[in-house]
Amino acid sequence: MSHVLQKKDFWAGVLYVAFGAAAFWIGRDYPMGTAGRMGAGYFPTALSVILMLIGLISAARALTQEGEAVGAVSWKSLALVVGSTALFGLLLPTTGLVIALVVLILISATASQNFRLDLKAAAGLIILVTFCSLVFVKALGVPMPLVGSWFGE
Amino acid sequence: METISNLWLGLETALTFWNLAYCMIGVLLGTAIGVLPGLGPTATIAMLLPVTFGLPPVSALIMLAGIYYGAQYGGSTTAILVNLPGESSSVVTALDGYQMARQGKAGRALATAAIGSFFAGTVATVLLAVFAPPLADLALQFGPAEYFSLMVLGLIASVVLAHGSLLHAFGMIILGLILGLVGTDVNSGTVRYTFGFAEVSDGINFVIVAMGVFGLGEIIGNLENESTRTIMSKTVTGLMPTREDVKRLAAPVLRGTVLGSMLGILPGGGAMLASFAAYTLEKKVSKHPEQFGNGAIEGVAGPESANNAGAQTSFIPMLTLGIPSNPVMALMIGAMIMQGIQPGPSVMTEQPVLFWGLIVSMWIGNLFLLVLNLPLIGLWVRMISVPYHFLYPAILVFCAIGVFSLNNATFDVYLMAIFGCLGYIFRKLDCEPAPMLLGFILGPMMEEHLRRAMLIAKGDATVFLNRPISATMLIIALVLLATILAPAVRQKREEAFQEEG
Amino acid sequence: MRALKLLSAAAIGIAIYAPAFAAGYPEKPVTVIVPFPAGGASDTTARMTTQKMQESLGQPVVVENKPGANGSLGAGQVAKAKPDGYTLLVGSIGVYAINPVLYKSLPYDPIKDFDLLTVAVRTPNVLVANPNFPANNVKELVEYLKKNPEKVTFASSGAGSSDHLTAALFWQKTGTTGVHVPYKGGAPAITDLIGGHADVSFQNLGAVSNHIKAGKLKLLAVTADKRNPAFPDAPTMEEAGIEGVEVYSWQAVAAPKGLPADVKGKLEKSLTAALNSPDVKGKFSDIGFEVVASTSGQFSEFLSQEISRWKTVVEAGKITADQ
Repeated sequence: MSHVLQKKDFWAGVLYVAFGAAAFWIGRDYPMGTAGRMGAGYFPTALSVILMLIGLISAARALTQEGEAVGAVSWKSLALVVGSTALFGLLLPTTGLVIALVVLILISATASQNFRLDLKAAAGLIILVTFCSLVFVKALGVPMPLVGSWFGE
Repeated sequence: METISNLWLGLETALTFWNLAYCMIGVLLGTAIGVLPGLGPTATIAMLLPVTFGLPPVSALIMLAGIYYGAQYGGSTTAILVNLPGESSSVVTALDGYQMARQGKAGRALATAAIGSFFAGTVATVLLAVFAPPLADLALQFGPAEYFSLMVLGLIASVVLAHGSLLHAFGMIILGLILGLVGTDVNSGTVRYTFGFAEVSDGINFVIVAMGVFGLGEIIGNLENESTRTIMSKTVTGLMPTREDVKRLAAPVLRGTVLGSMLGILPGGGAMLASFAAYTLEKKVSKHPEQFGNGAIEGVAGPESANNAGAQTSFIPMLTLGIPSNPVMALMIGAMIMQGIQPGPSVMTEQPVLFWGLIVSMWIGNLFLLVLNLPLIGLWVRMISVPYHFLYPAILVFCAIGVFSLNNATFDVYLMAIFGCLGYIFRKLDCEPAPMLLGFILGPMMEEHLRRAMLIAKGDATVFLNRPISATMLIIALVLLATILAPAVRQKREEAFQEEG
Repeated sequence: MRALKLLSAAAIGIAIYAPAFAAGYPEKPVTVIVPFPAGGASDTTARMTTQKMQESLGQPVVVENKPGANGSLGAGQVAKAKPDGYTLLVGSIGVYAINPVLYKSLPYDPIKDFDLLTVAVRTPNVLVANPNFPANNVKELVEYLKKNPEKVTFASSGAGSSDHLTAALFWQKTGTTGVHVPYKGGAPAITDLIGGHADVSFQNLGAVSNHIKAGKLKLLAVTADKRNPAFPDAPTMEEAGIEGVEVYSWQAVAAPKGLPADVKGKLEKSLTAALNSPDVKGKFSDIGFEVVASTSGQFSEFLSQEISRWKTVVEAGKITADQ
């Protein structure tokens, strides 16, 4: 039997309670109103209390029942995929679409153990960047600068 | 007789060379853009709207309608192939469609979606032609109380979307409901849970949540297991449904069509429930509910038919009353206004050429869609056999650009990254995201209608039981809840007995 | 396809107007920010006007939708943009006159941050009711409201919207009360009005004129200074005996503060020409909009009047919206 602190049910419970508590705390100042004229706080308060209850039940289930363990977390993939996405948002207005795309593709690709920067990968990179520049910026008119503010106008 | 002469007028309009051409261009463009991850029908139409401004009104609307169902079908393709629902309706298609794709049955899933959609589209178009005005009047019977009860029913039904733990299904629904509250409260104007970011003061866009939780979460999860298992089955079995498949398909397609047609008429968000409702129904009537979530073909056929039927009948309130039932219809109304046509009840009488031409072109568009897409299935299936380490950076790119294009804001890209983290955590903890997404969609609508109903009824809660439509739906919800809970309770008791014995 | 169209439009434009504007503004495409989603009234106004403007400016004019926070997100962006004439704003009464009195913190100040160019179009609001509602004219409505305080439901397109404030103004001027029922936009409010779930509402004439003609809604009065030619039987509010409830929904164009004088002149000229061209005017009147095309001076004066009027309404009605 795996330890409680390794169980999925326990951590899911923690997640629910955390979300519920945060929603309750942030929403504590929203006016409750009455049943006839419900205020902005009525629904959120009710929901966050229910969510915390569900979280407690889930955690309790982890204590009393067998359950699966969470398993190893692949921090590397998580950081690379999420990080490269956020970096894209940061670079899009400053360096422009072309560089932002190259950075996003190269960084996220390193998350895979099969990734090698060979001729095939380079060709794929160029095709993808060209495709996006032509289709989204030129044809569909999405307002993304191809070259960003760091490089003059 | 009148219907026939009207349809004839419609045929004459829709079958002119240019209108046929615009219909086809619309379907093609819609499919091509809708198939890109992160770009659903709403985004596609918003982007392509200006293209149609130079056209005559009838052609412009025919083309836009083509883009709409083209994009919707394209979105289902992405949902099946890479588990990325670009619009709320394809969330359920992804559930079983993607599992089928992993088992090498992507072609069969896609063909099922295409055939189901075509059948549903045909039936819904006929409905639209014959019954549009009376159906629109029926839709007006739905006030805040009825919508609230409908949302309650939808919420209970969404529990069935999960195939794992019931407790987590409830937990994720509530979590979704809370996430849905982010933004400005419609009833009081209070801004809630925005952490001071004006960017989310109108709420978080569904696409951001879906792309983050499904798209990024899926990619990170797949990378984790990269060495131990292949993402896609190498052996692709038959592109077309087998004869046995077709037998299993017929009833779900029919049920989905009926459900979707009915819900699509309701302007207050009914169409959004169509595919969810169809999935729930199929899982409930199936003799093998355990197959759902593991690649049941009924789980693709029912929702896809319902979805397309709903898409067609959601034109009814738009064309007969000038009321948009979803963001896409709001854009269509914008397009009509740009063309100098004021949408409303008089469109049908004052613009018969437009009205009937559009209706007939919808059927023709659905035909184009089928003819175009069946041959393309082979191509799509080959596309996902591209090695995953080439595929996922491209998916990421389209998600990022698609999310950016929603409001032309980089903020939304950051938000997607955050939901990517959450999505991965949910996967690790076996918390299924589909019920959460439905909660996310329904939450704000449910609260809005509940509070409005109570406001109008001056705080008298019996309004939900006094109105027959509302009461009926609450009773159905109660029965459904009982059938969901009963097996779980029984199982618990059996387990308890076994432990004692 | 759109790029092609723009390019060809630009090419034609340059071919025709190149000699006149060979030197100076505009040398590159002009961006018009619409702080609402595509398809709404501001968006329609912007697109109809800019189509014509690019002919006289000789450069493409690109409409960019930047929705969020009742339009204040996009307006705030324009306020911070360079005042070079390449970024313009097309916004509604809400953006210019109502947000500033309703919200404590706003990313822009309509008077300090903008060079006001022109009020492009306006449309009167109308007081409509469900056909089964007992009152058939404004007088009966006021009597009914007095007999049934806090009973009649007034649908609006949102808390703090122009129709919400018009209802508040109406209550204040007539000494009555009602229940304000906000919706998410005008369309669902009109739907519930037709379905009889809500009683009365102030709506843009264009949005309800077809429903009135079809008998699905009852028109009680127009909030304009004169009767509308499409509905000659409906009285103005003043004719119905209620002074000071004259409300239009309007759309206006502005630029970041500090435009060079020649650029401002060129823009004003181009805007007025576009708005007054017969085909644009005709298209606007088809959808119930009346072209105003005021001068920048008239706009400034009008805006300060509007702001002070709505400020009074908001304070008297204790209407709040946190932000």
